[in-house]
Amino acid sequence: MSNHYTRRSFLKTAGTVAAVSTLPVTLVEIAFAKPQDNFTFAYISDSHIQHIRAGKFVNNWDRGLIRAVAETNLMTPKPDFVMFGGDLAQLGTKAELDHGAGMLAKLNAPLKTVMGEHDYYLDLGEYWSKLFGPQYYSFDHKGVHFVVLNSILTHDEWTFNRWPTAEQRMNEMAGLDNPNGSPFMVGEKQRDWLAKDLAKVAKDTPVVVFSHSPIQKIYKGWNFWTDDAEQVQALLKPFDKANVVYGHVHQIQYNQIGNIAFNSVMATAWPWPYPSTYAQAETYLPKLTIPMNRADPFFERDATGWQMINVNTGRVDLAYNLYNNRSRTVAFDHKRGHPADTQFQDVALEPNRAHY
Amino acid sequence: MKHRHTSLWVVLAGASLPAAIALAGPLGLPPVPVPANNPMTPEKIALGSQLFNDKRFSATGEVACATCHDAGKAFTDSPLKTSEGINKLTGTRNAPTVVNAAYFASQFWDGRSADLEDQSQHPFVNPVEMGLKDHEPILKIVRSDPTYVAGFKQSFGVEPAAITMDHVKKAIASFERTLVAGDSPFDRWYFGGDKTAMSEAAVRGFKVFLEDGRCVSCHTIEQDHALFTDNRFHNIGAGINRIQDKVPEIAPKFLEAKAKGVDVDKAVLSDPNSSELGRFAVTDGLDELGSFKTPTLRNVAVTAPYMHDGSVKTLRDVVVHYNNGGVTNKGERVNDFLSGGIRELNLDEQQISDLVAFMEALTSPQHATPAQAASAGGQQ
Amino acid sequence: MKTKIIRHSLAAVVGAAIALGSAGARADEFTKQEAERWEAQFMQVVQKGRELWTSPALGKNGVVCAQCHPNAANSHPETYPKFQKQIGKVITLPEMINWCIRNPLEGQPLAVDSPEMTALVAYATYERRGVKLEPGKH
Repeated sequence: MSNHYTRRSFLKTAGTVAAVSTLPVTLVEIAFAKPQDNFTFAYISDSHIQHIRAGKFVNNWDRGLIRAVAETNLMTPKPDFVMFGGDLAQLGTKAELDHGAGMLAKLNAPLKTVMGEHDYYLDLGEYWSKLFGPQYYSFDHKGVHFVVLNSILTHDEWTFNRWPTAEQRMNEMAGLDNPNGSPFMVGEKQRDWLAKDLAKVAKDTPVVVFSHSPIQKIYKGWNFWTDDAEQVQALLKPFDKANVVYGHVHQIQYNQIGNIAFNSVMATAWPWPYPSTYAQAETYLPKLTIPMNRADPFFERDATGWQMINVNTGRVDLAYNLYNNRSRTVAFDHKRGHPADTQFQDVALEPNRAHY
Repeated sequence: MKHRHTSLWVVLAGASLPAAIALAGPLGLPPVPVPANNPMTPEKIALGSQLFNDKRFSATGEVACATCHDAGKAFTDSPLKTSEGINKLTGTRNAPTVVNAAYFASQFWDGRSADLEDQSQHPFVNPVEMGLKDHEPILKIVRSDPTYVAGFKQSFGVEPAAITMDHVKKAIASFERTLVAGDSPFDRWYFGGDKTAMSEAAVRGFKVFLEDGRCVSCHTIEQDHALFTDNRFHNIGAGINRIQDKVPEIAPKFLEAKAKGVDVDKAVLSDPNSSELGRFAVTDGLDELGSFKTPTLRNVAVTAPYMHDGSVKTLRDVVVHYNNGGVTNKGERVNDFLSGGIRELNLDEQQISDLVAFMEALTSPQHATPAQAASAGGQQ
Repeated sequence: MKTKIIRHSLAAVVGAAIALGSAGARADEFTKQEAERWEAQFMQVVQKGRELWTSPALGKNGVVCAQCHPNAANSHPETYPKFQKQIGKVITLPEMINWCIRNPLEGQPLAVDSPEMTALVAYATYERRGVKLEPGKH
């Protein structure tokens, strides 16, 4: 299913939702509260470019990233920047990172990046940093303070002592359900840096944190997990409007913990089932989340996609552009005080297409 | 060889009929869906046939529905690439067959009409089809011509002055609902249990269809019938490849024009670039850029050329296009908006020709050419 | 006279049974050790299935089952046989596994009764144990 970018649907959802538009702004009467405060950026994530041999890469994942880039480039007006949410490569090799970087180079808006575990564990991000810069940093844009964390680190013991080769370390971390994996964390060094970075920011400045892991504890078996989530959340607590946008999970999730709104982004490569569908484990899915519909495995782009994020008066609204699947808009609902699906929050989506 | 022929015409020719007819599908097809507000009657069907064939409903008096949907050509204008309307004006789209169109969930290559009724009104007023300014000339004729007056009276109980386009559309749609055809060699082999009905090549081709060819997910078959269409829209790289570099320019421009009130039906038939936007032009949906409706494969062997723009000449060329992963010539650039179901297939020559043989086994007896009718029954 | 002979034959039969297995066992009776032994053999096959579930050797492009089906989630073994739209008819779980091997994994299908297929089915159903059967559910 597709988003309907008609004038009528803009007007209906105006003011609270990302205007995913290919129309010039002058043709659309959007009534934003204070229009000069709002801006959009695109978010592409989890492309998992996977090398087979020589010049061959897994076609399915390639096509996902190619399509997301092409569609982002159709957006009018252009997004202020494009964020890449991590896991560009599948096994962190130079070939994969180069192949993916080549596709991202076609974007016609400035690119910023977040690192994922699939990019990190082969060479601890050495080649990544050559291509894309620092692994954690912050920047300000139009009155919003943005922070990028490398939230897929883990215990030093696992990273440095456990595995005989870098390749094996990467392979072990690459399996989502691998019992030999190790929980993600931000770690003390970055938390100290974050505390100092946020100390300079006024408490009424909106803060948006980009992270690969969820900065929540959702399901440890699949590393939908950040071990020091509470400590990071505590650092965000003093702010009026804090938002976390995370990748890694390849599915729609959203949540509110105190003052912090959480939103996941979709993968361009493939969708994952919800952890609640694993019959043998106790899992926790953020209870606000209306899950997305499951995909038809024949259509390789089904339930993959990218998102347009509108920062609307300090809160993020995401328009998920999903292929073949029902596209979704999760916007911060100011009345309810948390993110909510603009169409389906109070109704079951389509029960016969739900994950089970 | 005895054919199990459950043709509609046999039913109609039967003795005493109730006022409305329920339509059982032929072998391989489900019952024809009939909307509650347009029940089928013999009178309405005959009226619809008359309207379908009437050339007076065009600016030059030379073009009827039957001009591009010719009963002798499986209700297409094969071998024309794109159809020719008044004064031989051409549009951008290949005329799809009306046979089995009753089973589609939407009409036109881009699904812009929800049903047969709605579809029937548009060609009359399209500048490159019948070229009428509006439907008034049609209404004038049906309200005054005695055979029409009688036909509408019998079908709808309506007096001449009260005849509207709604009645005209309903009659045409009723006629079109009788144009269903199954009972092909494939149907007899797969649903009818006749193990000699398809040639060996076609049987091998059916395996390719289900497995290495990856055809069945869009050209669907089911346990007891086969529509050969999922009624969805896909970008398979036909047509859009030609304009793919221009898409960033064309797509926003089209939406701009649409917001200003341009009629999609006229725009897509007259502008070869807009035409390639496909379903996107109707829904504005990014994930339907360059997408067109999956056509049925029934009678495909007699409805060449292929694709929405008639750009692929033969069935073999079609298979090669899919084998190449959505490009006509191997190595060409695949368009960025390609459907996720399309990829290189690595079929060998034998598989390609077997797949073609299978598609040739989907022709219903009443639409087969003499050569095909002779070989139907699987002597290869 | 006759009964004596019969009793002797019975004794011979019982003796044979003792030699082979549990003393005096009839029909499908089995001991605790037998049950544990057979379940362990089953778990070995489940373990083999897990290895295949994560093995790039199953297909030709390096993709593994676990990438889309971590812990075999979303594979729904409890719903087979069912109508599978990607194949156009009612099928069993091994046929769907072969579909996945052919399509996302771009590999060659396995024989439905091969040890590898049995192992994959054992793993997927084991990860789904306890979920009630709902054959035909889409």
